[in-house]
Amino acid sequence: MKIRTLILAACLILTLGIWLPAAAGRPVRIAYLQADIHQLASWVAMEKGFYRAQGLEVKVAGIFKAGPEEMSAFAAGELDMGYVGEAPATVAVANHAARVQACAQVNTEGSAIVVAAGSPIKTVAQLAGKTVAVPGHSTVQDFLLKKALSQAGLAADKVKIIVLKPPEMIGALRTGQIDAFIAWEPYPAKAQTMKVGRVLIASGRIWKDHPCCILAVDQRFLKARPQAVKKMVKAHVQATDFINRHPQQALKIGMKYTGMDADTVRLAMKNVNYTYRLSVDGERQYVEFLSRLGYIKVKDSRAFVAGFLNTKILEELTGK
Amino acid sequence: MTPRRYALPLAVVALWQGLSWAGLIPAYKLPSPLAIAQGLVDLVLVGMPPGHRLPSHLFYSLYRVAWGFFLAALLGVPLGLLMGWSRPLRQLVTPLVELVRPVPPLAWIPISILWFGIGIKSAAFIIFLGAFFPILLNTIAGVRSVNPTLPEAARTLGARERDIVLKVLLPGSVPSIFVGLRIGLGIGWMTLVAAEFTGVRSGYGLGYMIMTARDIQRADEIMAGMGVIGITGLLIDWGLRVLQRRLLPWK
Amino acid sequence: MVLELKGLGKTFPGQGPGQEVRALENIDLALAPGRFLCLVGPSGCGKTTLLRIIAGLERASRGQVLLDGRPLEGGSPAVGLVFQEYALFPWRTTVENIEAGLEFKGVDARTRRQAALRYVRAFGLEGFEHRYPRELSGGMQQRVAIARTLIMEPRLVLMDEPFGSLDSQTRSELQNFLLDIWRSRNDTVIFVTHNVEEAVFLGDEIVVLSPRPGTIRARIAIETPRPRDRTGPESNRYRRQVLDILEQERRSGPGFSPLPVQEEVS
Repeated sequence: MKIRTLILAACLILTLGIWLPAAAGRPVRIAYLQADIHQLASWVAMEKGFYRAQGLEVKVAGIFKAGPEEMSAFAAGELDMGYVGEAPATVAVANHAARVQACAQVNTEGSAIVVAAGSPIKTVAQLAGKTVAVPGHSTVQDFLLKKALSQAGLAADKVKIIVLKPPEMIGALRTGQIDAFIAWEPYPAKAQTMKVGRVLIASGRIWKDHPCCILAVDQRFLKARPQAVKKMVKAHVQATDFINRHPQQALKIGMKYTGMDADTVRLAMKNVNYTYRLSVDGERQYVEFLSRLGYIKVKDSRAFVAGFLNTKILEELTGK
Repeated sequence: MTPRRYALPLAVVALWQGLSWAGLIPAYKLPSPLAIAQGLVDLVLVGMPPGHRLPSHLFYSLYRVAWGFFLAALLGVPLGLLMGWSRPLRQLVTPLVELVRPVPPLAWIPISILWFGIGIKSAAFIIFLGAFFPILLNTIAGVRSVNPTLPEAARTLGARERDIVLKVLLPGSVPSIFVGLRIGLGIGWMTLVAAEFTGVRSGYGLGYMIMTARDIQRADEIMAGMGVIGITGLLIDWGLRVLQRRLLPWK
Repeated sequence: MVLELKGLGKTFPGQGPGQEVRALENIDLALAPGRFLCLVGPSGCGKTTLLRIIAGLERASRGQVLLDGRPLEGGSPAVGLVFQEYALFPWRTTVENIEAGLEFKGVDARTRRQAALRYVRAFGLEGFEHRYPRELSGGMQQRVAIARTLIMEPRLVLMDEPFGSLDSQTRSELQNFLLDIWRSRNDTVIFVTHNVEEAVFLGDEIVVLSPRPGTIRARIAIETPRPRDRTGPESNRYRRQVLDILEQERRSGPGFSPLPVQEEVS
């Protein structure tokens, strides 16, 4: 063979080598929050092969300590889809930092305000003057805490709010650094099984059926690979159904990904509703409250909600 | 304040604003200078988190730095004087200093929180660590750089050891001590902001403000906050330089 | 006798055994009050070491130093030392430098300031009381250094090549100035210099030190009344005499042990 032909053939093979995998689909880059039992569906989907069964390759591009950090990763273009809190996602989109849409719900409820085991605090109003830890500003938990305070008639500045990452909260509660914390399950459950804390109020009592985590998709990814997104949502639906039908198996997977014992994870899962139905009203409440807190400025909340929630994909999948 | 000095920075800013207007720089990655200016206004009027305004954040940060810095100076200058003056002491203490010094102050944060909890004490400790070593080392160098003839001259004039340390070595090392103080304060200021990222009890502090702005995805406020930190650091250093010129007219 | 040196010797340890440096050996000297003694010798002959021992900054290896008949402890303001590089405290003004020794002694602020101002006037430093050394010329700095030493009224004044870093004009001025001051106070002075002309101009007597080890080679009394003519025949004769001794030393090399000689010129 002539040298020239050889070189030409090599170039052709190289080019195909770059194109073909792209055509077959780069792995989908997903993210979730560290040890957040709300996001069990993502772990179930991975463990049970729901992605693979549809020909999707999924890569975990980030495990984050709290929602705002995950949204920064979206902003930097590092993620295609992610399991994240509805509040931080709303703030990121409203402040033009990231362009994502919520294409499915992940859970409702599933957080709690926890006080020290021997604490005399019995009501939310008694948090006045105390130090309470939240996982970050603009997280769902931050939102819930402020909602609870306002329901108890307390101005938010009557309470010292500090930011701690959930793994640090239990230790801080134990050593008396903080008087209370609010975090996603399984941290409240763990505080209880460790006998360090007791639940002051579960988030469902602050706001019944409040939406919590969502499955977010980067708009560029949605535009480039709509089929892949649909498959991802389908896998999510399957995983959510699986959790509700086979809680024991789901528990085992939860233990694996949180590293916590069976009692803790079981207690945690009791506080969480796994559902994939998006709630327009819920998101509208988020927008309203976040605006009142001064975190975002949204001119037309109706348009914003319509643009943020993408119910079409779910409708196509489930006919609802 | 010659205009020519600021020509280049101003040109950069103008170019930056122009590129932003043209849409060539995405706003969420790098806000335009005007957006940052607006962010600064928001920090002052509305605050971040809302209700916690910039002047209060600035005050708290300065307060923490002041504590850590003064402790560092209080320990570093006398210890440096003694170590500069006494060789056996210097040989005894130096290995310990050289072991601790390379550890970045920020690496101490988890331990600091365990020892002092979340609050002013652990923040002051981190800043103390950052400021202490430059102050100590520059003081020692200052003492050793004093013209050796000067203590001898003092001795021939009847000075005792105490006089030599306080009236010859100390004034003679003041220029070096000042260098150490300026460096220490600079490092302390930079360390403070990072230290505040990890936890602040009162809800105030420039580092905390920036971290919150990050959580709420306000890149414009993040950068405005960075600007405030930089300018404050500059002003503090300038203040020290003015003080130095007043205290050292003999240089 | 204000000062007596008896069998003084100084050995420096050096790098190891067998490598000691014998800087001074067999120094015997007696100095009467009010005398102006010049110490000359080539570099390395130990003049500075000798001065530092007398001032108490170094210890002698052998022998004794007696001040007014009593053994001398280090660092007494009874023995003043003027350094070649002035050694003024740069952070102190002229008056603050001059009054430093009084301050160490514990004299109250007012008294010592008054004393310092008297010296400022006597030494022609008016107008420069509150200047810093860096603002003064070399000649003025040296005057301040001398004032700082003399204000302590020392029994013995040692001067280590004090005019060495000055130009010849300033040097001549300061030499005359020094003589004036000395005449009015009658201090006892040991003045070290390697400049023979200066020694002949200033001293009542000249002691020549030879190097390695430093020993007294000769002691010459200068009888010419003051004011002296630097270039006159008598000065020249003395100069010739000293230079001859130094030349002899140079030629005979190290290790030569001379007999101490007192020469007088008829």
